[in-house]
Amino acid sequence: MKDSLNTVVRSLIFVALALALCAVVFQFAGYNAPVMLWAVLDGAFLRSGAIEQSLRWALPLFITAVGVSISFRAGFFNIGAQGQFYVGAICAAFAAEVFKGGPALLVIPALLISGMAGGALWALWPGLLRLRSGTDEVITTLMGNFLAGLLLVYVTSGPLKDPSGSGQQASSRPLDAAYRLSNSLGLSPTIIAIAVIVGIAIWLLVNRTAFGVLASLAGRNGTMVEWQGARLWKLGLSSFLISGALAGLAGTIEFMGPNGRIASGFLPAHGFTAILIALVANLSVVGTAVASIFFGGLASAALYLPIMAGLPAAAIDIINAAIALFITARSKLIDKVLRLGGPAQ
Amino acid sequence: MSNLPKSALECRDVTVKFGDVTALSGVSVAFAAGQIHAVVGQNGAGKTTFARVTAGLVSPTTGAVDVMGREIRTGHVGESRAAGVELVHQSFALPPSFTVAEAMEFGATGKGGIYSRKGLAAKWRAHLAGLDVQVDLNRRIRDLPIETQQGIEIARALVTDARVLILDEPTAVLSPTGIEMLFARVRRLKERGVTVILILHKIREVLGIADSVTVLRGGRKVEGPLDIAEVSAERLANLIVGDAVAKTLGPQDRSALVGTSTASGEEAARPDRVGGPAVLSMRSVSTRADGEGIALDGIDLEIRPGEIVGIAGVEGNGQKTLVRAISALADLSDGTIGLAGHDVTAQPLATRRAVGLRIIPFERNVEGLSLTSSLWQNWSARELLQGSLLKVIRPAAIREACDRSLKQWSVHYHSCGQRAGSLSGGNAQKVIFAREVDAEAKLIIAAQPTRGLDIGATAFVWQALRQARDRGAAILLISSDLDELFDISDRVVVMLSGRINGEFRAPFDIASVGAAMTGAAARAHA
Repeated sequence: MKDSLNTVVRSLIFVALALALCAVVFQFAGYNAPVMLWAVLDGAFLRSGAIEQSLRWALPLFITAVGVSISFRAGFFNIGAQGQFYVGAICAAFAAEVFKGGPALLVIPALLISGMAGGALWALWPGLLRLRSGTDEVITTLMGNFLAGLLLVYVTSGPLKDPSGSGQQASSRPLDAAYRLSNSLGLSPTIIAIAVIVGIAIWLLVNRTAFGVLASLAGRNGTMVEWQGARLWKLGLSSFLISGALAGLAGTIEFMGPNGRIASGFLPAHGFTAILIALVANLSVVGTAVASIFFGGLASAALYLPIMAGLPAAAIDIINAAIALFITARSKLIDKVLRLGGPAQ
Repeated sequence: MSNLPKSALECRDVTVKFGDVTALSGVSVAFAAGQIHAVVGQNGAGKTTFARVTAGLVSPTTGAVDVMGREIRTGHVGESRAAGVELVHQSFALPPSFTVAEAMEFGATGKGGIYSRKGLAAKWRAHLAGLDVQVDLNRRIRDLPIETQQGIEIARALVTDARVLILDEPTAVLSPTGIEMLFARVRRLKERGVTVILILHKIREVLGIADSVTVLRGGRKVEGPLDIAEVSAERLANLIVGDAVAKTLGPQDRSALVGTSTASGEEAARPDRVGGPAVLSMRSVSTRADGEGIALDGIDLEIRPGEIVGIAGVEGNGQKTLVRAISALADLSDGTIGLAGHDVTAQPLATRRAVGLRIIPFERNVEGLSLTSSLWQNWSARELLQGSLLKVIRPAAIREACDRSLKQWSVHYHSCGQRAGSLSGGNAQKVIFAREVDAEAKLIIAAQPTRGLDIGATAFVWQALRQARDRGAAILLISSDLDELFDISDRVVVMLSGRINGEFRAPFDIASVGAAMTGAAARAHA
């Protein structure tokens, strides 16, 4: 626990460095950097209602990110969270059509389960390809993201098309208010409860079951675990499925909560931000929770930046990219800095 | 002034530090030109570092290297080679997919350009023939026997007019016959005026080839160069292991460690120890070829409780496949495997482990441990795999049990949470023993269990295997070190080309075991 928090704090130092770098860039680009940084902080956490708004973004991100961390822990670089997120939302939207009119107490769980099944399905085929024939999962899951994006375009302009929609962005018919998990602000006790349950369940899975230890060993050295008698495909495929199901769940929450419908190309960066969060948190569950709140804050601030600092919302993309860069360089940098400066082991 | 022969290679007060580790400490030694010099010492004595410093691969922290009386810039391979120093590595560096001619051309000169296969072959044929390397120049390196590969390595090193040739543990990969061939080759090089420095491990070999011997221990020079005529095997053994350690070892173990004996082994296994039905019984086991090593071809092997069976053989003759077959990691095409009374032919490794199979694998750092995972995770993997994947665990309890176990095996470590990769080789091997050698162990496979370990850890491993045997476990020991096999095995089985080519009981005769390793015995009978 303490270790994982330490890791997050160290990661956040790098995030701060990334922000500082961005500030310099924005300053040179003619914006007022101090105002910008203040606007980020204000928009994310300080202004009234900011915390709620940040949590609205943080909770789905957290759910996807812990899923990502499960497959990363097991040594699979599943970068298909975005596609799994979409397919989860699509499946839930179809299920909503099928179960339309049923009692909310049955329909809501059914939609959540459909969404998880959809996400898991979208992780199943790259998982099978990887474990059966060694196909690189980076390629297949990345490809899966594009396929899922196109599938979303198709269903929102085809089978699920809302005929009353404006031509601007194709979207599905709205979900019946009775089945919504929240209003359009996107924060409700149900969503908080789901995120907490997911967090606790995954924490237990990772830290208190044989699966957690063995998957982590397999991720670091599959050969060793094979010599211990483990079946790698069992550990690997379950990791793929869990991570897909959680991304699908997040997609379903976005659909059943704040959005109330699915639109072509909605939240296109969700899965990638989740990967970033998992990496910042060094794959720990507690760390992922902390980092999710931080990135949720950034997402929330993105909407606020244009008003406050006169920055384009795309500035947040630049900030995210800078963070990604610093986090990827982190391990090596930290190693170097700490080894040279720190006491010898 | 004087016409005394200059020393071909001289190290003056060479110290090498890697971080906090001192690999060499103030080593000064001068090797006379035109002779064969042996440098001996146990693992971790600094032999390889010494070789690498002279070849310019490692830059010494302090100190200087002279070649033919002229100081060279240290830490530059090109500089060392220009001065005429060539190193043949312990593990060969020839590209396996190259033909002999290609390996000679590009290994020696490192230049590109257009070439024809014929042209290259013609170019190098004479050079190889001059060094007595009989080989078809269009064959690929990977298809050649290890002795020939080594011959090519040496030929490659001698392309430029090398005056000092350093061979780093050249005998480690060879059969006794191969060693004789190598030594004959080295003697011919001496006749041609090349100064040869052999990094060696075994006293028997030192006495058989060298003109002088230098002993390293713990990164320091103990003695040397001593004239070989003036030093006895006994004295050399004590110099290598050190007086303090020498006292703690039994005479058998000590001679096995330094390789002084020519025939050794305990008396035949005591009848009260070996008994009961076979723990391992393999009946005409063959495996499918799978690109991970030579396939097994009709192996029959039985091991009884309380018996250590050693597998001898030149590396790459199916030892690894044998271990993989017993561990359900290689596909059988024929035969049956029985383990502790169960037919496990079709059973996966998990089931085999459940009936008492334990494995100390070849590659400690790959197959044995996950170096970036914590000690307790590594230690608990075997037990965790025995139950359901969703079995609830208490890490605190596992850590405590791990602590107890590692203390019992006298592992030096800070905490169960530290990475396995932070341990020394000997301690890492002890962690594997702590995991694999328990009361339920029925068959323990120990594959090269002492490779790369220092004296203390080696003696520890031998003792642990003997204790397990005395408790009634059956042990399959695979080693390329015949002295080790002869010292602790009750029976030695020789593998050649995926088959069993002879079985021997103590007292072992190195000559006949060596003949079986190279197939000489089989040919003689045919």
